[in-house]
Amino acid sequence: MFAITPNTLSNFMISLSRYVILLSLVLIGVSIFLIIFLENDYYQGISFKIMFIHVPTAWLSLTIFLVMGVCSIIGLIFKSPTAFTVARSLSPIGLIMSIIVLVTGSIWGNLTWGAYWVWDARLTSMLILAFIYLGHILLLHSFEHFQKADFAASILAIIGLVNLPIVKFSVDWWTTLHQESSVLRIGGPSMTNDYLITLLVSFFGIFMLTIFWFSNIFYIIVEKRKVERSKLLND
Amino acid sequence: MRIIKLNNQIKKRFIFLLIIFVCFSASIFLISYSLKDQIAYFVEPTDLKNMDGIENKYLRVGGLVKTNSLKFLDGNWIFEVIDQNQNSVNVVFSKTLPNLVEENKGIIVEGKFIDNIFVAEIVLAKHDENYMPQSAIDKLKEEGKWRGN
Repeated sequence: MFAITPNTLSNFMISLSRYVILLSLVLIGVSIFLIIFLENDYYQGISFKIMFIHVPTAWLSLTIFLVMGVCSIIGLIFKSPTAFTVARSLSPIGLIMSIIVLVTGSIWGNLTWGAYWVWDARLTSMLILAFIYLGHILLLHSFEHFQKADFAASILAIIGLVNLPIVKFSVDWWTTLHQESSVLRIGGPSMTNDYLITLLVSFFGIFMLTIFWFSNIFYIIVEKRKVERSKLLND
Repeated sequence: MRIIKLNNQIKKRFIFLLIIFVCFSASIFLISYSLKDQIAYFVEPTDLKNMDGIENKYLRVGGLVKTNSLKFLDGNWIFEVIDQNQNSVNVVFSKTLPNLVEENKGIIVEGKFIDNIFVAEIVLAKHDENYMPQSAIDKLKEEGKWRGN
């Protein structure tokens, strides 16, 4: 983060991106195959299969915010342009992920609970996370100089880090309609191995897709800045 | 000389961020701690024993549907919501139940107490975090390890 320039990171990721997208498509294909042929849950029937999109995107939306927050801290303390650019290119992906979580979650909720939306702690804190992502993107686009935008958005990302443990542990701290964690919990996963393997394959597929998407956004930002800089020099 | 100056600046920025983060998390902690009764989505039948003036107050009560208590009488669903301490609440509900409401499964009822009977306006099914196929349950039943209905 300190010695790596945005340019080297961008070149490195673009050189790997064709393998990343290939791996991602293979994993997603395998997971779709597994999801179709998986036996239904004894209680929820087929509707529980939406979990294989809902849970990976939920993990990713939290992880992306954690990376964004850490990069913002590094960027602010060490004045690292690479860290700022990483945070800048992650927030649209995080927003899309959290919107997918909310949409799939409310479909699943309607099928099982009998309601699209309730104001319990988990759902509300997840909505707040989506709004922080939105605020981050808006802040990045509301300054003329990108250094100022990076500074303001980083402060928001660092403040938003407080929300992460609230989203994760809301189901343990308060009574909620949302069920508790099934995989990352004390006492091991509370699902059978075939479900767990499908969930992990699906997660890594979406994770690789996220990496691919991230490297493309990062590349575009770096190239745009190069063009702007050369224009300034020519003037 | 220059390195020392840079380190000082880094230290300063670090402390600045630490103060922001600590102040903000402390304020969030205090808010959520003082609002913890409002953030909780439902109360259990045991909590109702210690609450005053629950008559005619809009509440959410959660627990399990007691085994052999779910009945359909005169156009109303009648059942008992029970918790781990075996305290229960009698519930009447006049609309359609969600698909997943079953005996010995989680439920949340929303409504008021009228003459010691909970008249529910909204009923939500609460499923737990366990997922398994029917074949796994059959296997557990054969081994005699299955605890459920």
